[in-house]
Amino acid sequence: MNIVVYSEDPEYIKVASSYFPNEKIVAVSTSDTKYADELHVVDKMDEEAIAKYLASLKPDLLITGSTKRDKVVGAYAAGLLKYPILPDVIEISGNKAKRVVYSGMGIAELEFNTPIVVSISKKNVEAKERQTQKKNVNLEEGKVKKIEVKQKGGEGVDLSSAQIIVSVGRGIGSKENIKFADELARAIGGALGGSRPITADLGWLPEDRQIGLSGLKVKPKVYFALGISGQPQHLAGIKDSKIIVAVNTDKNAPIVENADYIVVGDVIKFCQEMVKKVGKK
Amino acid sequence: MNVVALFKIVPDDTLIKITGSTLDLNVPAKISTYDKSAIEEAIRIKEKHGGKAIGITAGNTDRKAIREALAMGLDEVIAIDMKEQDIYSTANMIADQLKQLNPDLVIGSEATTDSSGGIFPAYLAGLLGLPLISYVKSITIEGKKIRAERNLISSTEIVEAELPLVISVVGEINTPRIPTVKQILESSKKPVKSVNANVKPLVKLASVSPYVIQRKKIIIDGSKMEEAVDKLLSYLRQEGVIS
Ligand SMILES: Cc1cc2nc3c(=O)[nH]c(=O)nc-3n(C[C@H](O)[C@H](O)[C@H](O)COP(=O)(O)OP(=O)(O)OC[C@H]3O[C@@H](n4cnc5c(N)ncnc54)[C@H](O)[C@@H]3O)c2cc1C
Repeated sequence: MNIVVYSEDPEYIKVASSYFPNEKIVAVSTSDTKYADELHVVDKMDEEAIAKYLASLKPDLLITGSTKRDKVVGAYAAGLLKYPILPDVIEISGNKAKRVVYSGMGIAELEFNTPIVVSISKKNVEAKERQTQKKNVNLEEGKVKKIEVKQKGGEGVDLSSAQIIVSVGRGIGSKENIKFADELARAIGGALGGSRPITADLGWLPEDRQIGLSGLKVKPKVYFALGISGQPQHLAGIKDSKIIVAVNTDKNAPIVENADYIVVGDVIKFCQEMVKKVGKK
Repeated sequence: MNVVALFKIVPDDTLIKITGSTLDLNVPAKISTYDKSAIEEAIRIKEKHGGKAIGITAGNTDRKAIREALAMGLDEVIAIDMKEQDIYSTANMIADQLKQLNPDLVIGSEATTDSSGGIFPAYLAGLLGLPLISYVKSITIEGKKIRAERNLISSTEIVEAELPLVISVVGEINTPRIPTVKQILESSKKPVKSVNANVKPLVKLASVSPYVIQRKKIIIDGSKMEEAVDKLLSYLRQEGVIS
């Protein structure tokens, strides 16, 4: 089988390699990797051009990562090849795959045949390093021209590996109030995250703090959901947390069914009391 | 300027419930959340640049949801009835219709609330051999040129391309309008073209089961916050997740 793996993030190439330890893997990336037999290093991040290159390799199985860009590249290539496609697969074995559906409420089991394009989710895996032969590929320009790229400049906090996360939702009330959650996060050595309205919509926190289906998936020891209602799209990002603490004025909010400890009350008061208590100790 | 908005009719995600080992999908249908932003953007472009805004939906063809899309301001909806669908079969059916319409711009959204894959517009663009701009947060169109701001997680990109093309929009691009009663009544006069599917899916859906993780659900009354926090901290120390 001709397996081609594409991702801008080398972690995904490692995950793909772990699924197929005994098959030859051709990786295509802008980054380096030791988890492929062949690595084609592409010279630019041009989604259309990369997709065309991937399609030209005529893979039986094209695996991509699940970053926003990876999925676009994989899907564009699948369209060019007229192959079926499975996005965000969490498990593959034989010709069966599992993926999360209904915004995080369901798991679907699917049966497929090759050729196919599959985008895979990240997970912690072991994979053996390979003897990687490298070659450089100069891509043609796609039809979409980049005029400007603006980095959003988060503080470089890595939420995906944080052990304690304090996360705020619309219940925090205002941008000014974020400081109460921030103080709590500092007091307990946690990282600050937020729901989609807070990050993408209202811009009270930078967008790289967004946790959930269309943001980051996190797996801390303890996750504080402060003024977050617990819609499935948010839960999809926090299901792997060991303990979930929710603070909400509404004892019927969906988060209540999905948390270990629920403090029914005001989020600001909660933050202030917590800071007092953990500060005292 | 002729614009096509793609939208999907899905089980209302706010009403889906998990009961025991089943996911109850037998709930009222609605237009998938961010697909309304695709419809809204198509209507705004038509209002600004003239031409037609046509909707295409494939899968469930619930008439009430289609009427809502028409009431928002689409001129016509093409409804492709598909009992079973995958991305491949849906894209092929929609591509067939698009080849007849030959629009300047096709607008989809970043993801639907049912399959949540976030790849459909990109697949369709590949299939049609059209350029694609994904995760669009704002656009301006001048003549045949489109300039768009793309929203990626840690960066924003400004890009330019020539029409025709496919774009996918993020929910933040606009606030979809809510049709008035009058618009809803008038929408019944607008055309809906029914199409039967003749492309079979290649991926087989074997089963859907609930994705739940059992939690402890211990409620702490926060009316006396100081006591509540003491209680919580003692639980968290027992769990060994906080010192
Ligand atoms: C395709 C798609 C993808 C999405 N992706 C994501 C994603 O990645 N991440 C995400 O978060 N969302 C995502 N969403 C949005 C999601 O559906 C919800 O809209 C969002 O999670 C709600 O955010 P929230 O809980 O902050 O706000 P709300 O739902 O408005 O909840 C606010 C909560 O605060 C409580 N509250 C109010 N005042 C107080 C107070 N003083 N003290 C304590 N509690 C208070 C309220 O009772 C309520 O429960 C997505 C949606 C779609 C359609």
